[in-house]
Amino acid sequence: MTSRLTILKSILWIIVGIWAMVTVARFTHGLGATTNLSDVTPWGLWIGFDVMAGVALAAGGFVLAATVYIFGLERYRPFVRPAILTAFLGYIAVAVGLLYDLGLPWNIWHPMINWQHHSVLFEVAMCVMLYLSVLALEFAPTILENSLFDRPLFRRILAVLKKVTLPLVVAGIILSTLHQSSLGSLFLIAPHRLHPLWYSPIIYLLFFVSAVGLGLMMVTLESLLSGYFFKHKVNTKLLSGLGLAASVVLGIYVAIRVGDMAIRGVLGGAFEASWMSTLFWFELCVCAVIPAILLAIPRIRRSIAGLGLCSGMTVFGMVMYRIDVCIVAFARPEGFSYFPHWTEFAVSLGIVAAAVLVFIFFVERLKVYEHPMDQAEIPTIGPSFDPVTVRSLVPAAVTAPRRYSLLFIVGASLAIAFLPQQAVLGTKPHYTPVAATRTIDGFVIENEKVGEPNTIGFIEDVGAIPAGAMVTPLIIIDGNRDGRLTLFNHQGHEDRLGGEESCASCHHLNMPMDRASSCHECHRDMYEPTLIFNHESHVRGTDGNQGCVKCHDPSSAVKSYETATACRECHAESIMSGPVIADPEDRWNSAVGYMAAMHGLCRQCHINKAEMTPGEFPVSLQDCRACHNANHTVIFSEMIPRVKNSESQ
Amino acid sequence: MSEPMAILTDVTRCTGCEKCVDACKVEYELGDDRPWRGQGAIDDLSASRFTTIVNKPGNHHVRQQCRHCLEPACASACIVGALQKTPEGPVIYDAKKCMGCRYCLMACPFDIPRYDWDRAVPYVRKCTMCYDRLKEGGIPACVEACPEEATIFGTRAEMLALAKQRLSDNPDLYVQQVYGEHEVGGTSVLMIASIPLGFLAWKDNLGNQPLPDLTWASLKKVPGIALGVGGLMTGVYWIVGRRMKLAAESAEACNTIEPTDPADNQQQESESNHDQ
Repeated sequence: MTSRLTILKSILWIIVGIWAMVTVARFTHGLGATTNLSDVTPWGLWIGFDVMAGVALAAGGFVLAATVYIFGLERYRPFVRPAILTAFLGYIAVAVGLLYDLGLPWNIWHPMINWQHHSVLFEVAMCVMLYLSVLALEFAPTILENSLFDRPLFRRILAVLKKVTLPLVVAGIILSTLHQSSLGSLFLIAPHRLHPLWYSPIIYLLFFVSAVGLGLMMVTLESLLSGYFFKHKVNTKLLSGLGLAASVVLGIYVAIRVGDMAIRGVLGGAFEASWMSTLFWFELCVCAVIPAILLAIPRIRRSIAGLGLCSGMTVFGMVMYRIDVCIVAFARPEGFSYFPHWTEFAVSLGIVAAAVLVFIFFVERLKVYEHPMDQAEIPTIGPSFDPVTVRSLVPAAVTAPRRYSLLFIVGASLAIAFLPQQAVLGTKPHYTPVAATRTIDGFVIENEKVGEPNTIGFIEDVGAIPAGAMVTPLIIIDGNRDGRLTLFNHQGHEDRLGGEESCASCHHLNMPMDRASSCHECHRDMYEPTLIFNHESHVRGTDGNQGCVKCHDPSSAVKSYETATACRECHAESIMSGPVIADPEDRWNSAVGYMAAMHGLCRQCHINKAEMTPGEFPVSLQDCRACHNANHTVIFSEMIPRVKNSESQ
Repeated sequence: MSEPMAILTDVTRCTGCEKCVDACKVEYELGDDRPWRGQGAIDDLSASRFTTIVNKPGNHHVRQQCRHCLEPACASACIVGALQKTPEGPVIYDAKKCMGCRYCLMACPFDIPRYDWDRAVPYVRKCTMCYDRLKEGGIPACVEACPEEATIFGTRAEMLALAKQRLSDNPDLYVQQVYGEHEVGGTSVLMIASIPLGFLAWKDNLGNQPLPDLTWASLKKVPGIALGVGGLMTGVYWIVGRRMKLAAESAEACNTIEPTDPADNQQQESESNHDQ
């Protein structure tokens, strides 16, 4: 029989399987291999969702504890245990999420010995750590009540815990108040980066009030969901009380948020037509405005659908608020964006899935809810025998784990199949492919003063070409098209170096059928060396497998570059004689990066000329400025319409 | 050496030769640049480049490096005190303490700290003004390497006086501002230039208030809030308990059982949430 709960558990186990494999990749190859984080986005999904939103979602624990133990509203007692359990598991999930995000997770205990009273994060860490302990003690009675612990020692512990309930609750409220608000204070230090619609000097108050509202709605949503999955009746009368309270709290949140902006005079920004203002209004309406209004209507807050809608909206909206502050509204330079890698989602979801599984485990075995559980869901212990079917020979306690471990393996296999290469093999250099050279029509006026760079101009910029100017296409050396370029007078160099005879001094290697291959054809990456030897085409060109011995010595067992015939044996005509740079004897299976090639070639020649024939060439020829002069700073975007995509001569 | 030291960079003198970058790379064995997403160009600051030259139109070469703020946001943010401001001026990093939370990357107003994203054991990487050389009476490697004396080193007072001298000697050449004199409370790297240097920070005008003050405004309330909330909760518990007891006693006295008024309870509950 597949019930709702079985389906839910099956899905959760698949997610946990995926999570497990990503975990291996994360801790073997580091953050860069498994996330899209970078120096401009140092905090991503794992902080925004797992930590920021995770702590806020677990706020129901202290809110309900306060309601029942401090304010004496006894009728809400049925919600306390699930809320405390949610909070306990939620904070453990936060801690686990943090272990993934920290670069050096084995140092997570360092704050305990290096106290930094000036760091908000330190305060958050200490409060979270202490609150986790408080939650453990608050939840402990639920476990100790189990018949398993019916021993004198445990009974005594239980009695002590029950006696200190009130101090624990008060401590929990204090710690929660402090760290729920301080999560907002974390962003006070970044007024230069957080968008003005989210930055506020009282952001800690906003985080706290929104956490209280979210806590109430999270308890509501959880009751509805457990009612659905465990098939017990939902007490809408009690939930409507929580709904009314949430309506008031969310209303206060909206009032503080908008009022604070109005007082500081930044509310105008919310009415500008921009993505950010749209996001602001969407987030505010979903997380607070609409739920607050709907929950104020008795008919809606007493219906399951109404409560479900409102709690869903608040949970979604408040999670969004945290993520907006932490990621979306947090400035990064233009042209950079961040969207989490799927592995980041896998970890976040995996932690949630594991927490839900543990929650279900406790609900099934301990007295978390007051209602008796659906007996069909509790696995029967001990084998039972049914001679009709074979399957019944195996007790439910064995079949269920068997089903779930299979699903776990399915999840794990899925993850392995789709893991990005860098997560499996480690990070690789970031490739920057080089584009073909382009030219622009220009002219060059030789500078008579030795040592000064020649004047370069563009034909479209001037009405008439000045007298004595050489009109020629200028090559734009700008392999990665980032706009930082050097203009190269190809004709001028050819003339100076001796006409067609001189090609070989720079074009040292030819691709097949080429007379003078362009630089980018081999130097294919801007910064990284790339392989240029195409083994496949050589196999085809030498009669398939029959051709191996044409290059590889038949006596050598290992067929590698080291044992192969030198390329020049067959392709002597591809290699120009007398190039400026060293003959690429050994290394010509890979070509150095484009930038290294350009610097290596041009600079070497310039240095040689300046040093060997000081009379003919100025000393400054070997300076960076010889090439990277004022032309370097031409605004490239203005040139683009005039650029010819054709290859150089 | 306890007097605060500083680096003064005169952008008008820099030719963009990048000898400072090379010297830094040699000093810290940074190796080749490792291109990584989040970098606009190969020669942006990175985990393998603590200082770099930003070329601006009109042959302006602007050196970018850690500003070594007098009241550094990164050090105030650091949860374990791995980043520290030394009396000599440098803001230094202790890799042994770091736990890799990257809050310093979030907090820096100048976009300086970088992270070893491609490593399984990553550290925060940034300029430390060659603190080890300073302790031995030396000067930073980049300053030593500069052939044009575009970047020089001395006490902060000397450097500031020199910068102001240059500004007044050549009022037409320079933008009349010593960058780093007052920004975010002042920095130990001063810059003068003939173009505005606002582009070196996240925001053109950061203001003169030290950023740690902003968080301190909220942090200093922590003991008060802790005591206040604790007192309030205990107080409310006591009052509620007493009222319930009195209600029970009076009910007993009247010998009648009054049902609790739901409206009253609801009001009380919303009050509770105000208080929190």
